[in-house]
Amino acid sequence: MKTFKILKDQHQEIKLTKPGQYLIELVGSGSSVEITGVFRSQKTEQKKIEVIIHHQAAHTQANTILKGVASDQSFLQLKGKIIINEKCGDTQSFLTERVLLLSEQAKAETVPDLEIKTDDVKCSHAASISSIPEEHLFYLQSRGIKKKTAEEMIVEGFLTI
Amino acid sequence: MARFAAKKTSKPGADFVNETYEHGYSFGTQDYSFQADKGLNVEVVKQISAMKNEPAWMLNNRLQGFAEFEQKRNPLWGADLTGLTFADLSYYLKPTDNQAKSWEDVPPEVKETFDRIGVPEAEREYLAGVKAQYDSEVVYGSLKKTWEKDGVIFLSMDEGLANYPDLIKEYFGKVIASGDNKYSALNTAVWSGGSFVYIPPGVHVKMPLQTYFRINSEAFGQFERTLIIVDEGASVHYVEGCTAPQFSSTSLHSAVVEIVIKKGATCQYTTVQNWYKNIYNLVTKRAYVHEEGKMVWTDFNMGSKVTMKYPGFVLAGKGAKGEVLSMALAGAGQHQDTGAKAVHLAPYTSSTIISKSISKSGGRASYRGMVHISPQAHHSKNTVVCDALLLDDLSRSDTYPIEKVFNNQVEIQHEATVSKIGDDQLFYLMSRGVSEEDARKMIVNGFIADLVKKLPLEYAVEMNRLIDFEMEGSIG
Repeated sequence: MKTFKILKDQHQEIKLTKPGQYLIELVGSGSSVEITGVFRSQKTEQKKIEVIIHHQAAHTQANTILKGVASDQSFLQLKGKIIINEKCGDTQSFLTERVLLLSEQAKAETVPDLEIKTDDVKCSHAASISSIPEEHLFYLQSRGIKKKTAEEMIVEGFLTI
Repeated sequence: MARFAAKKTSKPGADFVNETYEHGYSFGTQDYSFQADKGLNVEVVKQISAMKNEPAWMLNNRLQGFAEFEQKRNPLWGADLTGLTFADLSYYLKPTDNQAKSWEDVPPEVKETFDRIGVPEAEREYLAGVKAQYDSEVVYGSLKKTWEKDGVIFLSMDEGLANYPDLIKEYFGKVIASGDNKYSALNTAVWSGGSFVYIPPGVHVKMPLQTYFRINSEAFGQFERTLIIVDEGASVHYVEGCTAPQFSSTSLHSAVVEIVIKKGATCQYTTVQNWYKNIYNLVTKRAYVHEEGKMVWTDFNMGSKVTMKYPGFVLAGKGAKGEVLSMALAGAGQHQDTGAKAVHLAPYTSSTIISKSISKSGGRASYRGMVHISPQAHHSKNTVVCDALLLDDLSRSDTYPIEKVFNNQVEIQHEATVSKIGDDQLFYLMSRGVSEEDARKMIVNGFIADLVKKLPLEYAVEMNRLIDFEMEGSIG
């Protein structure tokens, strides 16, 4: 498991590119972190990403966005967990997990967990799994763009953070 | 609060007890006409079955359940169950005709809650376990006639097994196999009480079926077993439990509820759980929904020490729908581990899960849910919304959702928020002359309002009062 420690009043941006387990600890008060991760799985790949955001001090902030696109027969798992310890007031933490499934055999699992032990927090998470909406494809195709190109454009737009 | 009808504050005096209660039966809670030996073994299971004159297949069922119970471990996730000792429990209690408890034995906080939420006096004794059944023969009698005319069956599980053995044999244990988990196996081995409901095709039961209308039977058992069959195109609303605290001297409550919803039928199952705060409440509930059918679970958990309950549905027919509305209130020493389980097996199925939890004075409320979309369930939709309110910095709130998707023609959404009562919200209300306590109550009632709305009116009113009562003195 790869561990990041964010110290007092520090701000850090973390970009995740490889699957695996990550632990992000906000140990100093006033620390903040921005975590982004973009993942694509193809053929019979099985990609698993687990991110734990652990708030251990007051006045900390974290924003986590994980996005994934699964095609062919691949499997993509996004696990995220926000833990806020006792006495960590004035903390904000948000977690977003979005997965796009491009083929009928592609599979996905999202697990956004929260463990909150203090009350003065703003904390939320959101997760979604979907395919490319037909209307979106139809719109682009009606402008003369090939279906395959249209799909690529939508995926590119989806993965841009 | 002024929004509701005036609350009754009269307390039952000595003559109240005299009128309705025959003295001379106060022997403590140990006085049952039959009590199985403590601990569980094959003999106890056989004894229970023999006491009830059950057919051989049910005894086999029980023995199989017992074998599975022995083999299974406690779940590795969820609430702490180490306080449970199976050897210390009695697995079958048959109450005597005159319940062996007096009004004086009921803990004062239970009595106070009755006063505060305005439970009619006739109901109080029944709810406190002083009297075996709430005396509602008049109401029940006329309702029973209407039901019989339409062919609706509403009996205790034991009566059902005696009168309709074929129906029960066909469906018993089919939605929830005894080996589903340790506690469903335990229930299969030692079940007693619970309801058996059958709604014939096309019949819409207008009045909710409420467990406390059913007389001459054990409405609330320790190991109740309920089976509801809603035939094609029929609809029913079943209400279990009550907002008033249910006092029980046993420490484990483990029920199994199975519901079969046939083509185009609808079932709503409402639970209001307010067990006394020494109880482990470990319940398995599941519905099997056929084509175009609809299942709605409304689940309110306020009482008990530990609750683990995840009402679920298997959407097995095209276009089936499922809905879970879950509310949990965790106070001091309580852990409410509740949630939902949605399994989509057929195309065009949709489900919604809405969970609201409130944690206060060191309580812990968790949402734990699983959404499973199988490869066949294309064009399915699922939405999960979890909102949690933390009232002080001692309390804890968790959210553990799992979403598994095995095909791409789906829309899955999950959202969760955790927050406290905002200072700005409090300030706004207090600037209008509302006291802090009332302001907090209003905000909490507003937080759960859209769920309470789904309850039958009298329950909704009682629920609001109960929340008010639980909130009192919570200003830190």
